[in-house]
Amino acid sequence: MTQVTIAKAEAPAAAPRRAVRRLDHRTRSRITAWMLGGITLLFLLYQWLPILTLGLLSFSGPTGGTTFPMNGVSLHWYRELWDASIMNDFKPPLARSFLLALACSATTVVLAVMAAQAVRGRFRGNGLFFYLLLLGIMAPGILVGFGFALLMRLMGIELSWDTTAFVTHVTWTLPFGFLTMLAVFNRFDARLEEAALTLGASRLTTFRRVTLPIVLPGVMGAGLFGFSLSYDEYPRSLFTTGADLTLPLAVMAQLDRQLTPELYAIGTTTTAFSFIAIGIFTFAFWVLRRRVQARKP
Amino acid sequence: MSTIRPGSPTSYWLAVPAAAWMLAAVVVPTLLLLWVSFWGGRAFSTASPLTFDNYIRFFSNGAYLGLVLSTFGQAALLMAITGTLGYSIAYFLVVKLQSARWRTALFLAFVIPFWTSTLIRAIAWVPFLGVNGVINQALIFLGLTSAPIEAFLYSMAGITMAQVSLYTMLAAGPVVYMLNTIPPALREAAMTLKATPFTVWRRIIFPLTLPGVVIGQVLVFLNVMADFATVATIGGNKHALLGNLVLNFYEGSQLRFASVVAVLLMVCMLAGVALALRVVDIRKLGA
Repeated sequence: MTQVTIAKAEAPAAAPRRAVRRLDHRTRSRITAWMLGGITLLFLLYQWLPILTLGLLSFSGPTGGTTFPMNGVSLHWYRELWDASIMNDFKPPLARSFLLALACSATTVVLAVMAAQAVRGRFRGNGLFFYLLLLGIMAPGILVGFGFALLMRLMGIELSWDTTAFVTHVTWTLPFGFLTMLAVFNRFDARLEEAALTLGASRLTTFRRVTLPIVLPGVMGAGLFGFSLSYDEYPRSLFTTGADLTLPLAVMAQLDRQLTPELYAIGTTTTAFSFIAIGIFTFAFWVLRRRVQARKP
Repeated sequence: MSTIRPGSPTSYWLAVPAAAWMLAAVVVPTLLLLWVSFWGGRAFSTASPLTFDNYIRFFSNGAYLGLVLSTFGQAALLMAITGTLGYSIAYFLVVKLQSARWRTALFLAFVIPFWTSTLIRAIAWVPFLGVNGVINQALIFLGLTSAPIEAFLYSMAGITMAQVSLYTMLAAGPVVYMLNTIPPALREAAMTLKATPFTVWRRIIFPLTLPGVVIGQVLVFLNVMADFATVATIGGNKHALLGNLVLNFYEGSQLRFASVVAVLLMVCMLAGVALALRVVDIRKLGA
């Protein structure tokens, strides 16, 4: 008797349930969106909060410690940074890191454009060449730095930031520039070159007058990789820099000695410096792309 | 026809500088590490006899073996966390977020830290994790704990927290790239054929993004395996992974032992990459 009633009650319920389920898809999809959105925002907070805290704490008062409370607001730690003693003077390391990054940027741009052009030529063994360059990204800095330091030791070459460190930095920045240029040439319309060649321009002239101006925004991207990756590089520098430190090495040495808000001040300064570099490169990228687009009829 | 004639000598010559640079500064040093790790005797010279002694001494020390295991464990943990987190974020940014302006803004907020110093970002975690750090202050303020928890700074938990913030972008980036290549029509077709959203994701979207997932996992794996800077910054001298061991031996002038550890590190990493390459073709991403 009861079984019958249950069966009767279930039968009409089946039809509405299907309707409910179809509605469920849309709500469920929306719930997923909200959940994933929540995760994304929380992660962004998680990623940015330490950086912002570092910036905030660098402005704490002279008696401020390495965490909250700040004990007042001042530029004390930035002044300490500026008047630094020889022991923790960050200005020479900053100058070295900047020059090194510029040199790496320029080298990366030239070698990456050449390498990408070479791969466009589809020479025999270009697959192997691709993997050889990719090795620079895959091989960890600690191995490259350590191995190169051993090699220099065997050859009796003195380690220095502007020679040995430069060589290892480029092995790290070049692959990124190369991949950037490959991606750029992938989207490049080769018919433009054909037109120039058909009109009698030499290959070199075509490259200089047609190809290069069009891929210039990508070249800026490769340059940015070259600059920022070298400027922030730590593991390769650690083994190959010698006595005159670059900025990340000086920061790490200071952390080993003593953690003070001064370290936060230098951290904030170099982070701001990175942002400025990104800004300049992005602006140049934007201007160049506008110029290229403006030429199109 | 392009500015380079296919297979021409010019294309060879253009490839020479980059190839020579990578050979001289990456391949040769790596092979040298391999060679030095077999050197016997005491002097640092190419005339050293070759032996397995260094390896035997390394493997007979239980503490070092434990270090190898804990390095793998840390890499696996980070791969699981950043993989899940990175996929969620990538999926939200590309598929779920409708407004193009918001997508650009969030994407930039996500990517910009990649262009700043990893070292500084690791140091930025220090004021967070200490006994009087921000996390403990927040916990006490919220009444979740009465006494500060000492488990953050100088602990693997703190190291893991910092590494998650550093490496999630590596896991998410390739997935974003792969998700962008999927035409929306594929989804719509499957939905029209009455597949549930989860089925669409499981049978269509996920397999198409798999190469991105694998590349991301490889990047996280390689970075965590070789990470010694974050460990040194946050772990103090209390914790070490294989990378720190290389550095310790190097600073103690035990170059042969440092080479042994470096070679082990390299073998582990190559094995990981080889495994991943069996699953996907990396060149599909690059070109």
